[in-house]
Amino acid sequence: MTLKIGIDVGGTFTDFVVARDDEPPFIHKILSTPADPSIAVVEGLAQIAALQCPPMDPARFAASIDTIVHGTTVTTNATLTGTGAACGLLTTEGVRDALEMRRGIRERQYDNRYTNVRPLVPRSRRIGVPGRIDRDGHELAPLDVAAIERTLAQWRTEGVEAVAICFMNAYADPAHERLAAECVRRAMPDAYLAVSTEVLPSIRFYDRLSTTALDAYVGPKLERYLDALTARLASAGFGGLLLVMQSNGGVISPQLARARAALTLLSGPAGGPSAGLFYVREHGRDGCITTDMGGTSFEASVAIGAPLVKTDGEIARHRIALPMLDIHTIGAGGGSIGWLDAGGLLRMGPASAGADPGPACYGRGATLPTTTDANVVLGYLDPQYFAGGRMTLDAEAARRAIDANIARPMGLTVEQAAAGMYRVACNNMAQGVREVTIKRGVDPREFPLIPGGGAGPIHGCLICTELGIPLQVVPREASVLCAFGMLMCELRHDFVRTFVGRLDALRWDVLAALVHDMRAEGDALLEAERIPPASRRVALRLDCRYVKQYHEVSVAVAPEWIERADAGAVVQAFHDEHQRLYGYALRAEGAPVELVNVRLQAIGATRAPGHARAAAGDRDARATVKSVRAVYVPERDAYAPVPVHDGHRMRCGHVVSGPALIEQQTTAIFVSEAFDCTVDALGSFVLYAKGREDLLGRREHSAHERDARVPAEGLPA
Amino acid sequence: MNDTRTIAPHDVAPAQAASGGAVPGGGETGASAIDPVLLSVYARTFRAITDEMSISVQQTTRSPILCEAKDYVTGLYDEAGRMLEQTENLPILAFSLAPVCKHIVQTFADDVHPGDVFFHNDVFTLGNQNNDVAVFKPVFLDDVLVGWTAVKGHQADIGGAVAGGYNPNAVEVWQEALRIPAVKVVERGRLRRDVWNLIFANVRLDIVQHDMKAQMGACAVGERRLVELLRKYGLPSFRAHKQALFDATRRMMEAEIAKIPNGRYSGEGRVYYDGRHEGSRYTIRVDVEVSDRRIRFDYSRTDRQTDGFVNGTYTSSASATILTLLQMVNPDIPHNEGMVEPIDIVIPQGTILNAAYPKATTFGNHLCPPNADAIQRALAPVLPERVTAGWNNLLAALTTGTDPKTGEKYVDIGFMGLKGGSGALPGCDGYDHIGMIDASGGVLDQDYEMFERQTPHLLIRHELLADSAGAGQWRGGLGVETVFRIGSDDTQLVTFGDGDFEGAFGLAGGKDAGLNAIRLALPDGRTVVPRNKDLVSGVPRGTVYRQIASGGGGWGDPRLRDRATLADEVRNGVISRESAMRDYGMRPEELPEAPWTST
Repeated sequence: MTLKIGIDVGGTFTDFVVARDDEPPFIHKILSTPADPSIAVVEGLAQIAALQCPPMDPARFAASIDTIVHGTTVTTNATLTGTGAACGLLTTEGVRDALEMRRGIRERQYDNRYTNVRPLVPRSRRIGVPGRIDRDGHELAPLDVAAIERTLAQWRTEGVEAVAICFMNAYADPAHERLAAECVRRAMPDAYLAVSTEVLPSIRFYDRLSTTALDAYVGPKLERYLDALTARLASAGFGGLLLVMQSNGGVISPQLARARAALTLLSGPAGGPSAGLFYVREHGRDGCITTDMGGTSFEASVAIGAPLVKTDGEIARHRIALPMLDIHTIGAGGGSIGWLDAGGLLRMGPASAGADPGPACYGRGATLPTTTDANVVLGYLDPQYFAGGRMTLDAEAARRAIDANIARPMGLTVEQAAAGMYRVACNNMAQGVREVTIKRGVDPREFPLIPGGGAGPIHGCLICTELGIPLQVVPREASVLCAFGMLMCELRHDFVRTFVGRLDALRWDVLAALVHDMRAEGDALLEAERIPPASRRVALRLDCRYVKQYHEVSVAVAPEWIERADAGAVVQAFHDEHQRLYGYALRAEGAPVELVNVRLQAIGATRAPGHARAAAGDRDARATVKSVRAVYVPERDAYAPVPVHDGHRMRCGHVVSGPALIEQQTTAIFVSEAFDCTVDALGSFVLYAKGREDLLGRREHSAHERDARVPAEGLPA
Repeated sequence: MNDTRTIAPHDVAPAQAASGGAVPGGGETGASAIDPVLLSVYARTFRAITDEMSISVQQTTRSPILCEAKDYVTGLYDEAGRMLEQTENLPILAFSLAPVCKHIVQTFADDVHPGDVFFHNDVFTLGNQNNDVAVFKPVFLDDVLVGWTAVKGHQADIGGAVAGGYNPNAVEVWQEALRIPAVKVVERGRLRRDVWNLIFANVRLDIVQHDMKAQMGACAVGERRLVELLRKYGLPSFRAHKQALFDATRRMMEAEIAKIPNGRYSGEGRVYYDGRHEGSRYTIRVDVEVSDRRIRFDYSRTDRQTDGFVNGTYTSSASATILTLLQMVNPDIPHNEGMVEPIDIVIPQGTILNAAYPKATTFGNHLCPPNADAIQRALAPVLPERVTAGWNNLLAALTTGTDPKTGEKYVDIGFMGLKGGSGALPGCDGYDHIGMIDASGGVLDQDYEMFERQTPHLLIRHELLADSAGAGQWRGGLGVETVFRIGSDDTQLVTFGDGDFEGAFGLAGGKDAGLNAIRLALPDGRTVVPRNKDLVSGVPRGTVYRQIASGGGGWGDPRLRDRATLADEVRNGVISRESAMRDYGMRPEELPEAPWTST
């Protein structure tokens, strides 16, 4: 029996999900230790050992763990708080300010008090080095190695911890970057080194530069953290496989993460979409919209066969162009503050009361009304049963905050104001879902919604009503969705090369050789991670565009198309994708298509944990009703008494008709009047639009059959 | 057209009951009652729609002017052409869309049908600039006209005598561009091939056809989303809430105007050289009258129109006025009809800001910086916390030619080179390399490597320029220096702009900034300095192009500037040691140790 543990370190809590084959997962949560997050990791494992039946010695327990998958926000936080490493940048003479100028954007156009972000590397340590490669990869001027050596000598005396190298047109020929990298390795062997053509060897100078600088900026911190973590785990007795979550939704060994820290920059929520897919596959679905509502933010993402990926990300206004899951974050969480703008319109967030003092109902002296306060007034949260009764909420404080700040200024009752806050918050979240669906050419109605986070399932029904989504799946593990999702993630390594040419006149043999090389690189990494060849596969994409278009559309292709130089198949796939995304294609015009980038992902399958499956029983869930409470029912614009079910006692096959509440220790689910709810074989609560039982029970494969199938985005290696 | 117009006519119904019992649980929920919560939902959704349209344009267009620099605007209008929301990547284009939409509604009246698509660029029917070509698409709900979606973008070419559209020798509109008054290119869903072919037979570059298709695609995206919204809430709800939104926004704008003391304030901005007469100079004069909740901009004392192309159109000039005012008020005011209702703008026809038919006007958008100067100078004394010192006035160059490697024609507006600094405010330095005030940081540099792929030029330098900002307790934003080697044999260069005679002005003791400049070093050793509105043909390959887009004006006495910040700036080489001592009064012993970053 294998033992896998997913550990998600958040700002407030560190979440643990313990999975054994064919047993329900065990969930544990402890307070994070921000100064050194690895302390909470080891402490949590010791606590879990003590909670085993019978209790286990911590060292023996640690030794019995096969795999730990770990998600960390060390790099994210360093960037958001501006506490990364002291960096130096070697770049091409004449363009050292590109990093700071950010192509001259001011995100708030009419706000003359909106200032630029502080550059990741100060100007005095951005050094323009003579030496030039042109657009075709020809050297116009040799690299001035002596200038580099003088600079490095200076940096050694200044305590520079990390060096970024990014030269013009290095994507066309990385020779100068390699030469400079050698100088750095020689002169500053202990410095963290980020070389643009190793981080992201593709065209677009600013994207590559910013991504490389970010890598250097967070590198030393991640190195230190992972070293501390592996040492701590080893001394605690753990000898299994440690994997680190990446922003692209895959996992990676700590040795590789150490060397390419930028891969983890937005990895915090990256486990969610894989978890979502796992739960909806129970219903024969291969796609879903996963959301995660936390204290200050709401995250939304889409998976179709696999989580969707983007390459135009941003963190703290710095560009990061590495492939990462397309997860959209907005400032809408439980702590989001309600306010009236200068025109009297009700707004929710993005300002947040955070965890401390938190919402007014936490009774810590806060007086501003939050989403959580509205949920208390509306009856969705039981003040006596918050966090399973571990915390009591002050409903009066919530009412006072809403009355003073929203109700009275708007001339509403407290209940009306709370209902308004709830509806605006849900609308904000629905807009967040639009960002990752409609704006990417995906119709949200075709996919079930996974409302994650402890409070997410209170808002799921209204979000779904807003978007016309008829089906929701609320996992038992909704409150620790990301930690659970990490256990589902495979090893994933992304490679990109720029190879520009019109498809009707392409050197297909050169392209095939390029793909071959990228595949070999992927194999080498997976080999180092002990993944047997049978568990490896690759996903190949070509970034194409109509000739003279500026932005590319990434198209999934089969490797055989390249081997047999099948331009027609690629062009066809490109037209289709362009049509889907932007509503038109220039098929009839026969507009020529050109290739810009080749992207290859090397995937190593890991064993996903099994999950106990129950047989369906009785439909009648009346025995699980623990009380009746008046709550706000949006469909009636009024309060009504609804049954409150004990979620822990609900079993597979039970059916509950909305409006109803289902409470578990860490999650409350509101089933609005438009929905009914049943429990599936995995124990998930499945909410479906009334009368749409047809949406259920479409599971076509058992979990094991499912695992054996080749995922849609990958082809056998 | 008229010479005096209020951009937003007062033809709207009085405010409806905006709050009270019509909310959930409140009892009465009549079809047109205002739900304050639903109002927020509408406002947020309108913005989501125009943002989505904007992404669609950016991702699908080909001209770097559109997809790299984002020189376009997307908008949503009601059935009468009133603005519901806009995404204003380049604001100078933005405030002519609603007037043109109203013009189409009036002109075509009942000849507007589901599936129609209109094109428009004509500056004598409310267009702002010939090259800014708009697509308008009516939106129907069950055969009832309910609104419009529109996208206006700067096209790489639109005919006329000179590729790219900037023709300093033009004296009439026909030498500048193909005029497209409101023209139906798609009727009831069918492309009018004849009209389409007529238009594009007069345009040099094929990519313009594709870019116009991309704009049509974005309009279709917006149409789909507006219809979905209306299906959900119904037409009566939409109409009532739209009006309530206008009213709420108007009240916000009125409250902002009320913060300005009543009175009449005057200011000037200057335009140097009209492209034809050496040494010519024109003055834009504005009298701003604030009276409680209304503000009136009167340009009656402005100089007469030129006989060249340095002339504004009513909507380009009014857009400039609005966008300058928007920088002085709460930046979170929604952009809809209510926002512009309290603003009156008077621009007599025949002035440089509102040229009479058939004058040439391509330069009109670029009269925005001197126009903004005039408004800022007028209001700075009464709104010291809100009005910045002068912004760097635009000086730009457009190069065209043939890439010798690919044999393909290119058109490049050197966005990276033209973006100077903004003016300072008390408590806030200007923004470095933000660019002209008419874009306010919404237009981006080309990516360097894409620049070297799309043109045959080699970039030598693009960096912040030390000492380019006006000194002050709060300094202006820094400008940039751009140098590249020209790689085509048939290069033609068109310059357009100002700021090479007069730097951005300082305020409250802050200093003026430096001057803009463009200079060509020919391979034979000669130097050519084009005038600020000029056409230079036959620039040889190997010529080194050098441009300075200077900084913004400073605010307050430079000697009061924070010493630690100043030392950092000297260390980073954005302020030279000499300037630190001369302009900021830094004593030699205060200077940081040997800055080893050269300036």
